[in-house]
Amino acid sequence: MFEYSEFNIAPWGWEIAVYFFLIGTAGMTFVYAAAPAVFGNIFGGIARSMEPFQRVGMFVALVLLLICTPLLIVDLGQPSRFLYPILHFHWTSPLSWGALFLPLFGLSILVFLFALWKDKQGWLKPIGILGMLLGLSMPLYTGLDLMVHQTRELWSNSTIPVLFVILSVSSGTALAALIQLVRGKFDDKTREFLHWFLYVSVATTFALFLGEWVTLMFGSEELQQAWAIINDQYSLQFWVLTFLVGILAPLVMVAVPKLCRSPQLITLAAVLSAVGAYNFRAVLIYAGQLTQIYY
Amino acid sequence: MPLGLQAPPSLGVPGKKRWAMVIDLRRCIGCMACVCADKAEYDVPLGVWRTIVKVKDTGQFPNTKRHFMPRLCNHCDNPPCVRNCPTEATYKHEDGFVLQRYERCIACRTCIAACPYNARHVLPKNRDRVKIGGVVDKCTFCNHRVEEGLLPACVQTCLGRSRIFGDLNDPNSEVSRLVARHSVVTLKPEKGTAPQVYYIRPDRVNTEQIRSQPVSYAAKSDAAAFYRHNRGSKFFSGVL
Repeated sequence: MFEYSEFNIAPWGWEIAVYFFLIGTAGMTFVYAAAPAVFGNIFGGIARSMEPFQRVGMFVALVLLLICTPLLIVDLGQPSRFLYPILHFHWTSPLSWGALFLPLFGLSILVFLFALWKDKQGWLKPIGILGMLLGLSMPLYTGLDLMVHQTRELWSNSTIPVLFVILSVSSGTALAALIQLVRGKFDDKTREFLHWFLYVSVATTFALFLGEWVTLMFGSEELQQAWAIINDQYSLQFWVLTFLVGILAPLVMVAVPKLCRSPQLITLAAVLSAVGAYNFRAVLIYAGQLTQIYY
Repeated sequence: MPLGLQAPPSLGVPGKKRWAMVIDLRRCIGCMACVCADKAEYDVPLGVWRTIVKVKDTGQFPNTKRHFMPRLCNHCDNPPCVRNCPTEATYKHEDGFVLQRYERCIACRTCIAACPYNARHVLPKNRDRVKIGGVVDKCTFCNHRVEEGLLPACVQTCLGRSRIFGDLNDPNSEVSRLVARHSVVTLKPEKGTAPQVYYIRPDRVNTEQIRSQPVSYAAKSDAAAFYRHNRGSKFFSGVL
């Protein structure tokens, strides 16, 4: 049977998946680091448990930003034109908004660090609120960047931006927990605070995963094809690394009271959920594109 | 009006042109002259195409049929590539062309991801003769020729007269008559892109998402080898 076809490569590879993961992690790390200044005594002052994380968290968010921004720029075909999305701003493109918010987010981190260094307490709350919004806009815009592709059915639904924000909560929690554990500053309050966030994020991820699963199984032609691609090329990443390792295992660990009292196990659950957060994103990005090159 | 376009859709708008192409698949013989004409007109490098003719066989011997499917940019009236471009490098011309400004393109490849017709590609970074590289490229409906009163290169060279080009807003044009008289088909109309390449008598193996999937995977392995060899030096990362 003769067949002749063209295969233009699908455009987004591992660089984009890693960037989406790192920028989301940076955003949530900022949220944790700024939480004591922003929330203060609200909710019984539990956010104050992250006070030891403030300086180091901000610094780590900055480092993540310094890793993933050059990665995104180098991935461009024309790296020297990286400011064009701002200079030639196109308001219907989430990429333009992302390019605008990314440096502002970096600036928020720098100003927050400066305020901490100079002990300007009055600055911390407003900069913290602004930085939190900008930080959470990072995973939000990456999700929107996929969602607006009306022709990619795997991406074009309103759960994708929400999912990406939730996945960032998981990966940010993993980083915060790991740092606090290594520094020996993982006290009961910290555990309670991080446990709550992790529980909500993993449980929501589980619900959204089930939603994706059902949508794919009962979907249109393109979704059926995406489902076949996921089960064929990405079954390990989707079923093992995302579902079993990244969602089910941490969900059990945070839900069972005996297990979630241990800082080590909470940290392990968070790290596993971060593994799931990366792989879930990567599978969605890759499989969403592959249906295109088969047409 | 669809959001984010530089020019409103011109189909059916009095006093405006709406350039479109009709591809009569009863007349296509799969000679690939259109592909060659396009390669020659624009020095399109190896590994990428502005237009292509997909070939598929169906049936079991002795009841078989070979299907040809010329593919190119559909110059949509509601192009998702234009809306998603962060720099307005790709834009919509008031006569319906969807064009590319190379000097503004950053090759973020969002437009490639947005295109449902796989009609865009990245030009390799280091080219020998034409110096335009490291940017996204696509079929332009040969707007430089059309504006001079000529036909697009692929239409000019089509020896079966399978490709017909003209102004769909002109009721006396050949494309208008063909679209009016035949039950024409556009690709993926359900995506809301309003594509402006109309096919006469295409086969389901070439128009439906599930059926159009390659069977042999020979093309895929060829492409995989090509990109493996050229990745980094000439082409970008990505998935196959």
